[in-house]
Amino acid sequence: MFKAVLEVQIKWLFMLVKEIKHLVFRTIHNVKQHLTNFLFSLPIFVWFHKKTQLLLIKILSVAQVPEHVSFIMDGNRRYAKSRNLPLNKGHEAGGVTLLTLAYICKKIGVKCVSAYAFSIENFNRSKEEVDTLMELFSAKLDEFAKRAIDYRDPLYGSRLKVVGDHSLISKELRDKIYKVEQLTTDGSDFTFYVCFPYTARNDIYHTMYNFIANPEPEKEKSEELTIEKFTSQMYLREFSNKCDLLIRTSGHNRFSDYMLWQTHENGTIEFCNTFWPDFGFMGMYMIILKWSFFKTIQKFNEMNFSLKTIWYEGPNSKIQNRYTKLEELPEPPVHVSVLGERE
Amino acid sequence: MDKIQGNTLSRRTGNEPMTHHIPPPAVAVLKGSQLNNNKTKSVKALGASMFMNSNKAKELPHGGEFWGKPMSKLETLLYRTLLVILYISYGLFRYGQYQYNKMKLRILNVIYNPASTPQLIRQDVRKLEKIPKRIAAILEMKPVGFVGGGLKGLLNDGSEIVCWTVSAGIKHLMLYDYDGILQKNVSEFQTEIENKLTQYYGPGNVPNYAIKIPHSNKIYYNNHAEKTDDDENNKKAGKIAIEVSLLSNRDGRETIVDLTKTMADLCSNNELKLSDITLQLVDSELVHLVGKEPDLLLYFGPALDLQGFPPWQIRLTEFYWETDNNEVTYSVFIRGLKQYAGCKINVGK
Repeated sequence: MFKAVLEVQIKWLFMLVKEIKHLVFRTIHNVKQHLTNFLFSLPIFVWFHKKTQLLLIKILSVAQVPEHVSFIMDGNRRYAKSRNLPLNKGHEAGGVTLLTLAYICKKIGVKCVSAYAFSIENFNRSKEEVDTLMELFSAKLDEFAKRAIDYRDPLYGSRLKVVGDHSLISKELRDKIYKVEQLTTDGSDFTFYVCFPYTARNDIYHTMYNFIANPEPEKEKSEELTIEKFTSQMYLREFSNKCDLLIRTSGHNRFSDYMLWQTHENGTIEFCNTFWPDFGFMGMYMIILKWSFFKTIQKFNEMNFSLKTIWYEGPNSKIQNRYTKLEELPEPPVHVSVLGERE
Repeated sequence: MDKIQGNTLSRRTGNEPMTHHIPPPAVAVLKGSQLNNNKTKSVKALGASMFMNSNKAKELPHGGEFWGKPMSKLETLLYRTLLVILYISYGLFRYGQYQYNKMKLRILNVIYNPASTPQLIRQDVRKLEKIPKRIAAILEMKPVGFVGGGLKGLLNDGSEIVCWTVSAGIKHLMLYDYDGILQKNVSEFQTEIENKLTQYYGPGNVPNYAIKIPHSNKIYYNNHAEKTDDDENNKKAGKIAIEVSLLSNRDGRETIVDLTKTMADLCSNNELKLSDITLQLVDSELVHLVGKEPDLLLYFGPALDLQGFPPWQIRLTEFYWETDNNEVTYSVFIRGLKQYAGCKINVGK
């Protein structure tokens, strides 16, 4: 009897603690929200914020940066739910985040950004939502095309590629994609891949199918097929071999059928807990800084790089490999045995 | 369809090229720092980054505010100095984090200690709502001369995991190591598993296990099953408690390419119709050649590094690793199962 009462009491206490914790977090969150809103209403703060961001970008642009960054944009719907917004608002916010981050990546010097916009599995969602997503995508496509050919815009000079199984989408959308891709073919500094509708297994299957369906005319023998050749024919073309950095938001530790081929060798994979629309400049900046920090040390260790060589031979001197051939070593001194025999 | 498998398998018996796995930067650095004390080296590296040429062109990408304005030398120097400051402050922060994580891991290792008793493991597992059907683990050989290094260490780690998996009641385990060292030393591995299982269950009732090498299409059973000739007895004893498949880098990209070649050959000989090649066919072939998709993948290194784990098989796999950990410990195993129990999978929705 006494034990049961005690148990109830303890349970109640736990509930209370939980409730209080929740309340405290809620308040802190609210205060933070109000504070940011207030700060961003001040023009001086906005100016300062912008300048700081620019400085940080410029600093990182002289560092080692990943060549190919990829995003899994997860959490748009949970974001909308957590703020009591309609679902399509969440997706819209996600689209804005993607373009902003693509622009920052471009400035930092990343060569290629890819994003998981729509999975083939997403067709399982309600028709309404799929239609909204398609519409939103089409609108974003127009926006991107407009920005990519406007020389005043930060996204100018980027090439857009929409990759995936296009047999699954409507003809109008396909035509539109083709048109936009044609508009932006000149861009060479920066490639922006949007995976729509895509799954990695489909990507691998599609490449296999292409090789089987169109054997190379001059060499009938399929023995010539190598991993490199296979990789170069995948949807992401020259960026298929390696994705240096894959970022997945909203706390799931899995790939969900994305970039399997690209990351499974030695890609860095980062999972973070924020919802995609909340994933902002600082979040990505810290991840890239971390990557760049470790990359610098790794490169240093690999290169046998020392300050001394820089001092003697100038900063641009070729860094030598640690290994040499036996024949290339300098001659040892003359061999003399204890009896005084020489060679 | 047997033909596809047969041909692909025969293709795979050739000599394997020696490749060298280059881990992602964070893993490479963290592993290095755990093996030999190279903090000073890291600091030096950061200093040297002032002078290191980045691979990119000097000029910034066109567009926006930078359009047509290449950075001057002085400006570059300024930004590089700031970069080094940024790196050093991040490094200090990371060092603190590293120490914290190490402490956490030490405490966790005390809390979760299986002490070679299957009952304890089962008790831990019974608290969970669900457990995965098949799990995979990535192992690697540490340099000889370090604690748990060399072939002995690898075999020990592998057999420990086998024991935990059996005790947890999971029936399928995939062990992956990049160079296929476990595959090459199957008999030693078998002995090691035998010893470990004896430690856990006593010499009388070692659970039955099967070791499968999908690469060469071989299956090894443990000694008890082989000794009995009687069919009835075999059936009773033949209930396999765990199936361990040993995978290597060879089962990854290369197998997919091999499969493509085989299918292309069969197609050109009109033995296979082009319309028959579907995603489902490819999937079933790869399941036969490599194995089914694991539900949970454990990695015992400091940061996630998949090391070329077969790409087709990690579609929805949940990953688990412990930051800054570099040992194969039970706490990682059980915490991985815990995470799996709490996760929600919704394909596409």
